[in-house]
Amino acid sequence: MAKMTTLAAFPKAFDSFLRAEPEHFHEWVTRRQSELVAFCVVIIVAGAGGYGAVMGSWREPMQAFYTGIKLPMVILLTTLGNGLLNGMLAPLLGLNVSFRHSLSAVLISFAITSVVLGALSPIALFIVWNTPPLTAGTMLTSPEYGFLQLTLAFFVALGGIIGNVRLLPLLRHWAPKPAIARNVLLAWLAGNLVLGSQICWVLRPFIWDSKRPVEFIGPEGFHGSFFETVIQAVWRLAF
Amino acid sequence: MPPRPLGDDSAERVPITNAIAAIDAILRQPRRVMFQLRQPDAHRLVTSMVLASLVCAAIYGAIAGTSTGGSQLGVASVKVTLGLLISGVICLPSLYIFTCLSGSQARLLEICGLLSGLFLLMTVLLIGFAPVAWIFSQSTDSLVGMGALHLIFWFIATAFGLRFLQAGFSQSRARSQAGIKTWVVIFVLVALQMTAALRPILGKSDTFLPGSKKFFAVYWSQCFQEARDNSRATR
Repeated sequence: MAKMTTLAAFPKAFDSFLRAEPEHFHEWVTRRQSELVAFCVVIIVAGAGGYGAVMGSWREPMQAFYTGIKLPMVILLTTLGNGLLNGMLAPLLGLNVSFRHSLSAVLISFAITSVVLGALSPIALFIVWNTPPLTAGTMLTSPEYGFLQLTLAFFVALGGIIGNVRLLPLLRHWAPKPAIARNVLLAWLAGNLVLGSQICWVLRPFIWDSKRPVEFIGPEGFHGSFFETVIQAVWRLAF
Repeated sequence: MPPRPLGDDSAERVPITNAIAAIDAILRQPRRVMFQLRQPDAHRLVTSMVLASLVCAAIYGAIAGTSTGGSQLGVASVKVTLGLLISGVICLPSLYIFTCLSGSQARLLEICGLLSGLFLLMTVLLIGFAPVAWIFSQSTDSLVGMGALHLIFWFIATAFGLRFLQAGFSQSRARSQAGIKTWVVIFVLVALQMTAALRPILGKSDTFLPGSKKFFAVYWSQCFQEARDNSRATR
Protein backbone atom coordinates (compact mmCIF):
# COMPACT_ATOMS: atom_id res chain seq x y z
CA MET A 1 0.00 0.00 0.00
CA ALA A 2 2.80 2.33 0.98
CA LYS A 3 4.58 1.51 -2.25
CA MET A 4 1.49 2.37 -4.27
CA THR A 5 1.06 5.71 -2.50
CA THR A 6 4.70 6.60 -3.06
CA LEU A 7 4.73 5.65 -6.70
CA ALA A 8 1.41 7.41 -7.32
CA ALA A 9 2.80 10.63 -5.86
CA PHE A 10 5.56 10.63 -8.49
CA PRO A 11 4.00 10.54 -11.94
CA LYS A 12 6.53 9.13 -14.39
CA ALA A 13 8.94 8.99 -11.49
CA PHE A 14 10.75 5.98 -12.79
CA ASP A 15 11.52 7.65 -16.12
CA SER A 16 12.80 10.84 -14.53
CA PHE A 17 14.64 8.88 -11.91
CA LEU A 18 16.65 6.90 -14.43
CA ARG A 19 17.26 9.88 -16.71
CA ALA A 20 18.53 11.75 -13.64
CA GLU A 21 17.47 15.23 -14.62
CA PRO A 22 19.01 17.49 -11.99
CA GLU A 23 15.98 19.83 -12.02
CA HIS A 24 13.66 16.99 -11.06
CA PHE A 25 15.94 15.75 -8.32
CA HIS A 26 16.33 19.27 -7.02
CA GLU A 27 12.59 19.79 -6.93
CA TRP A 28 11.96 16.47 -5.19
CA VAL A 29 14.72 17.04 -2.65
CA THR A 30 13.51 20.52 -1.75
CA ARG A 31 9.73 20.12 -1.98
CA ARG A 32 8.84 16.45 -1.68
CA GLN A 33 11.59 15.10 0.50
CA SER A 34 9.64 12.58 2.58
CA GLU A 35 8.06 11.11 -0.56
CA LEU A 36 11.47 10.95 -2.22
CA VAL A 37 13.03 9.19 0.77
CA ALA A 38 10.20 6.64 0.88
CA PHE A 39 10.49 6.13 -2.87
CA CYS A 40 14.25 5.56 -2.66
CA VAL A 41 13.92 3.14 0.27
CA VAL A 42 11.30 1.11 -1.63
CA ILE A 43 13.60 0.99 -4.68
CA ILE A 44 16.61 -0.03 -2.59
CA VAL A 45 14.69 -2.78 -0.80
CA ALA A 46 13.25 -4.10 -4.07
CA GLY A 47 16.28 -3.67 -6.36
CA ALA A 48 19.14 -4.56 -4.04
CA GLY A 49 16.95 -7.13 -2.26
CA GLY A 50 16.22 -8.90 -5.54
CA TYR A 51 19.87 -8.91 -6.53
CA GLY A 52 20.87 -10.13 -3.06
CA ALA A 53 18.41 -13.00 -3.34
CA VAL A 54 19.99 -13.99 -6.64
CA MET A 55 23.47 -13.88 -5.06
CA GLY A 56 22.43 -16.21 -2.26
CA SER A 57 20.40 -18.53 -4.46
CA TRP A 58 23.52 -20.37 -5.62
CA ARG A 59 23.76 -21.94 -2.18
CA GLU A 60 20.12 -22.53 -1.16
CA PRO A 61 16.78 -20.71 -0.79
CA MET A 62 17.43 -19.72 2.85
CA GLN A 63 20.73 -18.05 1.90
CA ALA A 64 18.84 -16.24 -0.89
CA PHE A 65 16.34 -14.98 1.67
CA TYR A 66 19.08 -13.79 4.06
CA THR A 67 21.19 -12.11 1.37
CA GLY A 68 18.00 -10.51 0.00
CA ILE A 69 17.64 -8.80 3.38
CA LYS A 70 21.33 -8.13 3.97
CA LEU A 71 22.18 -6.29 0.74
CA PRO A 72 19.54 -3.53 1.21
CA MET A 73 20.64 -3.40 4.87
CA VAL A 74 24.23 -2.65 3.81
CA ILE A 75 23.04 0.23 1.64
CA LEU A 76 20.66 1.72 4.19
CA LEU A 77 23.07 1.35 7.12
CA THR A 78 25.88 2.96 5.10
CA THR A 79 23.60 5.87 4.17
CA LEU A 80 22.52 6.39 7.78
CA GLY A 81 25.96 5.76 9.30
CA ASN A 82 27.64 8.30 7.07
CA GLY A 83 24.70 10.74 6.98
CA LEU A 84 26.16 13.03 9.61
CA LEU A 85 29.67 12.94 8.14
CA ASN A 86 28.48 13.52 4.56
CA GLY A 87 26.31 16.42 5.75
CA MET A 88 29.35 18.00 7.42
CA LEU A 89 31.79 17.41 4.56
CA ALA A 90 29.55 19.03 1.93
CA PRO A 91 29.55 22.59 3.38
CA LEU A 92 33.21 22.27 4.37
CA LEU A 93 34.08 21.51 0.74
CA GLY A 94 32.02 24.46 -0.49
CA LEU A 95 28.61 22.90 -1.17
CA ASN A 96 26.13 24.60 1.13
CA VAL A 97 23.40 21.99 1.48
CA SER A 98 21.54 20.86 4.60
CA PHE A 99 21.99 17.48 6.27
CA ARG A 100 18.63 16.34 4.93
CA HIS A 101 19.55 17.35 1.39
CA SER A 102 22.88 15.55 1.51
CA LEU A 103 21.21 12.46 2.95
CA SER A 104 18.60 12.55 0.18
CA ALA A 105 21.30 12.96 -2.48
CA VAL A 106 23.23 9.91 -1.23
CA LEU A 107 19.97 7.97 -1.03
CA ILE A 108 19.17 8.91 -4.65
CA SER A 109 22.57 7.62 -5.73
CA PHE A 110 22.08 4.33 -3.90
CA ALA A 111 18.54 4.01 -5.28
CA ILE A 112 19.89 4.34 -8.85
CA THR A 113 22.51 1.71 -8.01
CA SER A 114 19.72 -0.53 -6.71
CA VAL A 115 17.67 -0.02 -9.87
CA VAL A 116 20.68 -1.11 -11.92
CA LEU A 117 21.24 -4.11 -9.65
CA GLY A 118 17.55 -5.01 -9.89
CA ALA A 119 17.76 -4.78 -13.66
CA LEU A 120 20.87 -6.98 -13.71
CA SER A 121 19.24 -9.58 -11.44
CA PRO A 122 17.82 -11.71 -14.31
CA ILE A 123 21.27 -11.80 -15.95
CA ALA A 124 22.88 -12.64 -12.61
CA LEU A 125 20.29 -15.37 -12.09
CA PHE A 126 21.09 -16.76 -15.53
CA ILE A 127 24.79 -16.83 -14.61
CA VAL A 128 24.05 -18.50 -11.25
CA TRP A 129 21.85 -21.06 -13.01
CA ASN A 130 24.63 -21.82 -15.48
CA THR A 131 27.31 -22.11 -12.80
CA PRO A 132 28.06 -25.67 -11.58
CA PRO A 133 26.04 -26.15 -8.39
CA LEU A 134 27.47 -26.16 -4.92
CA THR A 135 28.45 -29.71 -3.92
CA ALA A 136 30.32 -31.30 -1.03
CA GLY A 137 33.44 -31.08 -3.17
CA THR A 138 33.22 -27.34 -3.77
CA MET A 139 36.02 -25.39 -2.12
CA LEU A 140 36.83 -21.71 -1.67
CA THR A 141 39.46 -22.16 -4.38
CA SER A 142 37.04 -23.81 -6.83
CA PRO A 143 36.91 -21.95 -10.17
CA GLU A 144 33.10 -21.83 -10.24
CA TYR A 145 32.97 -20.06 -6.89
CA GLY A 146 35.68 -17.59 -7.93
CA PHE A 147 33.88 -16.90 -11.20
CA LEU A 148 30.58 -16.27 -9.41
CA GLN A 149 32.21 -14.00 -6.83
CA LEU A 150 33.93 -11.91 -9.48
CA THR A 151 30.88 -11.63 -11.75
CA LEU A 152 28.51 -10.66 -8.94
CA ALA A 153 31.03 -8.17 -7.52
CA PHE A 154 31.52 -6.69 -11.01
CA PHE A 155 27.76 -6.08 -11.29
CA VAL A 156 27.73 -4.37 -7.87
CA ALA A 157 30.68 -2.20 -8.91
CA LEU A 158 28.95 -1.34 -12.19
CA GLY A 159 25.76 -0.36 -10.33
CA GLY A 160 27.79 1.73 -7.90
CA ILE A 161 29.62 3.59 -10.68
CA ILE A 162 26.39 4.36 -12.53
CA GLY A 163 24.71 5.55 -9.32
CA ASN A 164 27.53 7.95 -8.56
CA VAL A 165 27.88 9.22 -12.12
CA ARG A 166 24.15 10.01 -12.07
CA LEU A 167 24.54 11.91 -8.80
CA LEU A 168 27.15 14.25 -10.25
CA PRO A 169 24.68 16.40 -12.31
CA LEU A 170 22.63 17.08 -9.17
CA LEU A 171 25.73 18.09 -7.22
CA ARG A 172 26.82 20.30 -10.14
CA HIS A 173 23.35 21.87 -10.11
CA TRP A 174 23.82 22.78 -6.43
CA ALA A 175 27.51 23.68 -6.45
CA PRO A 176 28.87 27.09 -7.48
CA LYS A 177 31.81 25.39 -9.30
CA PRO A 178 32.09 21.96 -10.98
CA ALA A 179 35.26 21.22 -9.01
CA ILE A 180 33.32 21.53 -5.74
CA ALA A 181 30.73 19.00 -6.95
CA ARG A 182 33.52 16.60 -7.91
CA ASN A 183 35.29 16.99 -4.56
CA VAL A 184 32.08 16.41 -2.60
CA LEU A 185 31.30 13.32 -4.66
CA LEU A 186 34.81 11.94 -4.09
CA ALA A 187 34.62 12.63 -0.35
CA TRP A 188 31.23 10.94 -0.07
CA LEU A 189 32.47 8.02 -2.16
CA ALA A 190 35.51 7.52 0.05
CA GLY A 191 33.44 7.62 3.24
CA ASN A 192 30.80 5.27 1.88
CA LEU A 193 33.45 2.88 0.63
CA VAL A 194 35.13 2.65 4.04
CA LEU A 195 31.92 2.16 6.02
CA GLY A 196 30.17 0.06 3.36
CA SER A 197 33.11 -2.37 3.14
CA GLN A 198 33.09 -2.90 6.88
CA ILE A 199 29.30 -3.36 7.08
CA CYS A 200 29.61 -5.96 4.30
CA TRP A 201 32.33 -7.61 6.34
CA VAL A 202 30.14 -7.74 9.45
CA LEU A 203 27.10 -9.06 7.56
CA ARG A 204 28.98 -11.72 5.60
CA PRO A 205 28.50 -14.33 4.11
CA PHE A 206 26.55 -13.12 1.08
CA ILE A 207 27.11 -16.12 -1.15
CA TRP A 208 28.57 -19.00 0.82
CA ASP A 209 30.62 -19.87 3.88
CA SER A 210 32.27 -23.26 3.40
CA LYS A 211 32.65 -23.91 7.13
CA ARG A 212 29.22 -22.93 8.43
CA PRO A 213 25.56 -23.80 7.89
CA VAL A 214 23.24 -21.12 6.49
CA GLU A 215 23.06 -18.27 9.05
CA PHE A 216 22.01 -14.65 8.91
CA ILE A 217 25.32 -13.45 10.38
CA GLY A 218 28.11 -15.94 11.04
CA PRO A 219 30.00 -16.09 14.37
CA GLU A 220 32.91 -14.40 12.62
CA GLY A 221 30.76 -11.35 11.85
CA PHE A 222 32.24 -9.09 14.49
CA HIS A 223 35.75 -10.49 14.15
CA GLY A 224 38.44 -8.65 12.21
CA SER A 225 37.92 -6.00 9.60
CA PHE A 226 37.87 -5.85 5.84
CA PHE A 227 40.94 -3.62 5.60
CA GLU A 228 42.89 -5.62 8.17
CA THR A 229 42.38 -8.75 6.08
CA VAL A 230 43.40 -6.98 2.88
CA ILE A 231 46.53 -5.54 4.51
CA GLN A 232 47.46 -8.93 6.01
CA ALA A 233 46.99 -10.61 2.63
CA VAL A 234 49.21 -8.00 0.94
CA TRP A 235 51.77 -8.40 3.74
CA ARG A 236 51.81 -12.19 3.32
CA LEU A 237 52.27 -11.86 -0.41
CA ALA A 238 55.00 -9.25 -0.13
CA PHE A 239 57.08 -10.79 2.69
CA MET B 1 44.03 39.81 -3.85
CA PRO B 2 43.00 40.96 -0.31
CA PRO B 3 40.31 38.82 1.38
CA ARG B 4 36.71 40.06 1.36
CA PRO B 5 36.12 42.11 4.56
CA LEU B 6 34.21 40.34 7.32
CA GLY B 7 30.64 41.49 7.90
CA ASP B 8 29.98 42.72 4.36
CA ASP B 9 27.23 40.11 4.14
CA SER B 10 24.31 40.82 6.51
CA ALA B 11 24.09 37.09 7.38
CA GLU B 12 27.54 37.32 8.97
CA ARG B 13 26.32 40.00 11.36
CA VAL B 14 23.64 37.76 12.92
CA PRO B 15 24.81 36.97 16.48
CA ILE B 16 25.61 33.37 17.43
CA THR B 17 23.65 32.79 20.61
CA ASN B 18 24.42 29.21 21.65
CA ALA B 19 26.65 26.19 21.07
CA ILE B 20 24.31 24.55 18.54
CA ALA B 21 24.25 27.76 16.49
CA ALA B 22 28.05 27.89 16.77
CA ILE B 23 28.36 24.33 15.40
CA ASP B 24 26.03 25.15 12.52
CA ALA B 25 27.87 28.40 11.79
CA ILE B 26 31.34 26.88 11.83
CA LEU B 27 30.24 24.27 9.31
CA ARG B 28 28.23 26.51 6.99
CA GLN B 29 29.23 30.13 7.67
CA PRO B 30 32.77 30.19 9.06
CA ARG B 31 33.04 33.90 8.17
CA ARG B 32 30.12 34.58 10.51
CA VAL B 33 32.10 33.01 13.38
CA MET B 34 35.17 35.08 12.43
CA PHE B 35 33.08 38.28 12.38
CA GLN B 36 31.40 37.50 15.71
CA LEU B 37 34.80 36.88 17.31
CA ARG B 38 35.58 40.56 16.72
CA GLN B 39 32.48 41.80 18.53
CA PRO B 40 32.54 43.11 22.13
CA ASP B 41 30.74 40.07 23.60
CA ALA B 42 32.93 37.49 21.81
CA HIS B 43 33.87 35.84 25.11
CA ARG B 44 30.44 34.15 25.22
CA LEU B 45 30.94 32.64 21.81
CA VAL B 46 34.45 31.51 22.73
CA THR B 47 33.16 29.89 25.94
CA SER B 48 30.35 28.07 24.17
CA MET B 49 32.73 26.84 21.43
CA VAL B 50 35.24 25.56 24.02
CA LEU B 51 32.51 23.77 25.99
CA ALA B 52 30.96 22.27 22.85
CA SER B 53 34.34 21.01 21.63
CA LEU B 54 35.08 19.43 25.03
CA VAL B 55 31.70 17.65 24.99
CA CYS B 56 32.30 16.42 21.42
CA ALA B 57 35.82 15.25 22.37
CA ALA B 58 34.41 13.36 25.36
CA ILE B 59 31.82 11.63 23.17
CA TYR B 60 34.41 10.67 20.56
CA GLY B 61 36.75 9.48 23.32
CA ALA B 62 34.01 7.20 24.66
CA ILE B 63 33.48 5.79 21.15
CA ALA B 64 37.24 5.20 20.89
CA GLY B 65 37.10 3.45 24.27
CA THR B 66 34.59 0.90 22.97
CA SER B 67 37.55 -0.89 21.32
CA THR B 68 38.58 -2.08 24.78
CA GLY B 69 35.28 -1.64 26.62
CA GLY B 70 34.65 -1.55 30.39
CA SER B 71 36.26 1.26 32.32
CA GLN B 72 38.22 2.30 29.23
CA LEU B 73 35.08 4.00 27.91
CA GLY B 74 35.37 6.61 30.63
CA VAL B 75 39.17 6.63 30.70
CA ALA B 76 39.48 7.20 26.92
CA SER B 77 36.79 9.86 27.09
CA VAL B 78 38.67 11.75 29.83
CA LYS B 79 42.04 11.30 28.08
CA VAL B 80 40.85 12.59 24.71
CA THR B 81 39.18 15.60 26.36
CA LEU B 82 42.22 16.24 28.51
CA GLY B 83 44.54 15.90 25.51
CA LEU B 84 42.56 18.49 23.59
CA LEU B 85 42.47 20.90 26.51
CA ILE B 86 46.18 20.55 27.30
CA SER B 87 47.14 20.92 23.61
CA GLY B 88 45.11 24.14 23.50
CA VAL B 89 46.61 25.56 26.69
CA ILE B 90 50.16 24.64 25.62
CA CYS B 91 49.86 25.98 22.09
CA LEU B 92 47.84 29.17 22.70
CA PRO B 93 50.77 31.36 23.83
CA SER B 94 52.91 30.42 20.82
CA LEU B 95 49.96 31.00 18.47
CA TYR B 96 49.45 34.49 19.90
CA ILE B 97 53.16 35.35 19.72
CA PHE B 98 53.51 34.05 16.14
CA THR B 99 50.43 35.97 14.99
CA CYS B 100 51.74 39.16 16.58
CA LEU B 101 55.16 38.65 14.95
CA SER B 102 53.40 38.22 11.61
CA GLY B 103 51.93 41.71 11.99
CA SER B 104 48.42 40.49 12.74
CA GLN B 105 46.06 42.94 14.44
CA ALA B 106 44.02 40.19 16.13
CA ARG B 107 43.38 40.51 19.88
CA LEU B 108 44.11 37.65 22.30
CA LEU B 109 40.39 36.90 22.62
CA GLU B 110 40.08 36.63 18.86
CA ILE B 111 43.04 34.24 18.74
CA CYS B 112 41.41 32.20 21.54
CA GLY B 113 38.25 32.18 19.43
CA LEU B 114 40.05 30.99 16.31
CA LEU B 115 41.75 28.21 18.30
CA SER B 116 38.45 27.18 19.88
CA GLY B 117 36.92 27.27 16.37
CA LEU B 118 39.65 24.91 15.19
CA PHE B 119 38.87 22.56 18.09
CA LEU B 120 35.12 22.78 17.55
CA LEU B 121 35.33 22.00 13.84
CA MET B 122 37.80 19.21 14.51
CA THR B 123 35.73 17.52 17.22
CA VAL B 124 32.41 17.98 15.41
CA LEU B 125 33.92 16.26 12.37
CA LEU B 126 35.21 13.49 14.63
CA ILE B 127 31.63 12.99 15.83
CA GLY B 128 30.72 12.59 12.15
CA PHE B 129 33.34 9.85 11.90
CA ALA B 130 32.16 8.22 15.14
CA PRO B 131 29.69 5.72 13.58
CA VAL B 132 32.45 4.47 11.25
CA ALA B 133 34.92 4.22 14.14
CA TRP B 134 32.34 2.39 16.25
CA ILE B 135 31.57 -0.30 13.68
CA PHE B 136 35.28 -0.96 13.22
CA SER B 137 35.86 -1.06 16.99
CA GLN B 138 33.15 -3.73 17.33
CA SER B 139 34.71 -5.91 14.65
CA THR B 140 38.46 -5.84 15.13
CA ASP B 141 40.72 -6.77 18.03
CA SER B 142 43.67 -4.99 16.46
CA LEU B 143 44.38 -1.93 18.59
CA VAL B 144 47.10 -0.88 16.13
CA GLY B 145 44.57 -0.96 13.30
CA MET B 146 42.08 1.06 15.34
CA GLY B 147 44.80 3.50 16.33
CA ALA B 148 45.69 4.02 12.67
CA LEU B 149 42.02 4.54 11.79
CA HIS B 150 41.57 7.13 14.57
CA LEU B 151 44.72 8.89 13.40
CA ILE B 152 43.41 9.09 9.83
CA PHE B 153 40.14 10.56 11.11
CA TRP B 154 42.06 12.98 13.33
CA PHE B 155 44.25 14.14 10.42
CA ILE B 156 41.22 14.80 8.20
CA ALA B 157 39.36 16.65 10.98
CA THR B 158 42.46 18.65 11.90
CA ALA B 159 43.07 19.63 8.26
CA PHE B 160 39.59 21.21 8.10
CA GLY B 161 40.10 22.85 11.51
CA LEU B 162 43.43 24.33 10.46
CA ARG B 163 41.87 25.61 7.26
CA PHE B 164 39.40 27.59 9.40
CA LEU B 165 42.21 28.94 11.56
CA GLN B 166 44.23 30.04 8.53
CA ALA B 167 41.16 31.67 6.94
CA GLY B 168 40.60 33.59 10.18
CA PHE B 169 44.27 34.51 10.35
CA SER B 170 44.23 35.86 6.79
CA GLN B 171 41.55 38.34 7.91
CA SER B 172 43.83 39.82 10.56
CA ARG B 173 45.99 41.92 8.19
CA ALA B 174 49.09 39.79 8.82
CA ARG B 175 52.13 40.58 6.67
CA SER B 176 53.26 36.99 6.38
CA GLN B 177 51.91 33.43 6.68
CA ALA B 178 55.24 32.03 7.89
CA GLY B 179 54.32 32.38 11.58
CA ILE B 180 51.04 30.51 11.34
CA LYS B 181 52.61 27.80 9.18
CA THR B 182 55.33 27.25 11.78
CA TRP B 183 52.71 27.11 14.51
CA VAL B 184 50.70 24.49 12.58
CA VAL B 185 53.74 22.18 12.56
CA ILE B 186 54.22 22.71 16.31
CA PHE B 187 50.55 22.09 17.02
CA VAL B 188 50.44 18.84 15.03
CA LEU B 189 53.57 17.56 16.81
CA VAL B 190 52.12 18.46 20.23
CA ALA B 191 48.84 16.73 19.44
CA LEU B 192 50.64 13.62 18.19
CA GLN B 193 52.81 13.56 21.31
CA MET B 194 49.59 13.52 23.37
CA THR B 195 48.97 9.97 22.06
CA ALA B 196 52.18 8.91 23.85
CA ALA B 197 51.89 11.20 26.87
CA LEU B 198 48.37 9.99 27.70
CA ARG B 199 48.91 6.39 26.58
CA PRO B 200 47.19 4.05 26.34
CA ILE B 201 44.06 5.71 24.97
CA LEU B 202 42.80 2.50 23.34
CA GLY B 203 44.30 -0.37 25.34
CA LYS B 204 44.12 -1.21 29.05
CA SER B 205 46.55 -0.05 31.71
CA ASP B 206 46.87 -0.34 35.49
CA THR B 207 47.59 3.34 35.87
CA PHE B 208 45.84 6.34 34.35
CA LEU B 209 49.09 7.90 33.11
CA PRO B 210 52.21 6.05 31.87
CA GLY B 211 55.18 5.54 34.16
CA SER B 212 57.85 6.17 31.52
CA LYS B 213 58.37 8.87 28.91
CA LYS B 214 58.42 8.13 25.20
CA PHE B 215 58.50 10.03 21.94
CA PHE B 216 55.32 9.30 19.96
CA ALA B 217 57.19 7.80 16.98
CA VAL B 218 59.02 5.37 19.27
CA TYR B 219 55.74 4.44 21.00
CA TRP B 220 53.98 3.82 17.70
CA SER B 221 56.81 1.69 16.32
CA GLN B 222 56.80 -0.39 19.53
CA CYS B 223 53.02 -0.91 19.25
CA PHE B 224 53.44 -1.96 15.62
CA GLN B 225 56.26 -4.35 16.50
CA GLU B 226 54.22 -5.94 19.32
CA ALA B 227 51.23 -6.40 17.03
CA ARG B 228 53.43 -8.07 14.41
CA ASP B 229 55.01 -10.39 17.00
CA ASN B 230 51.56 -11.34 18.36
CA SER B 231 50.31 -12.00 14.85
CA ARG B 232 53.29 -14.28 14.12
CA ALA B 233 52.83 -16.11 17.44
CA THR B 234 49.14 -16.84 16.74
CA ARG B 235 50.00 -18.10 13.26
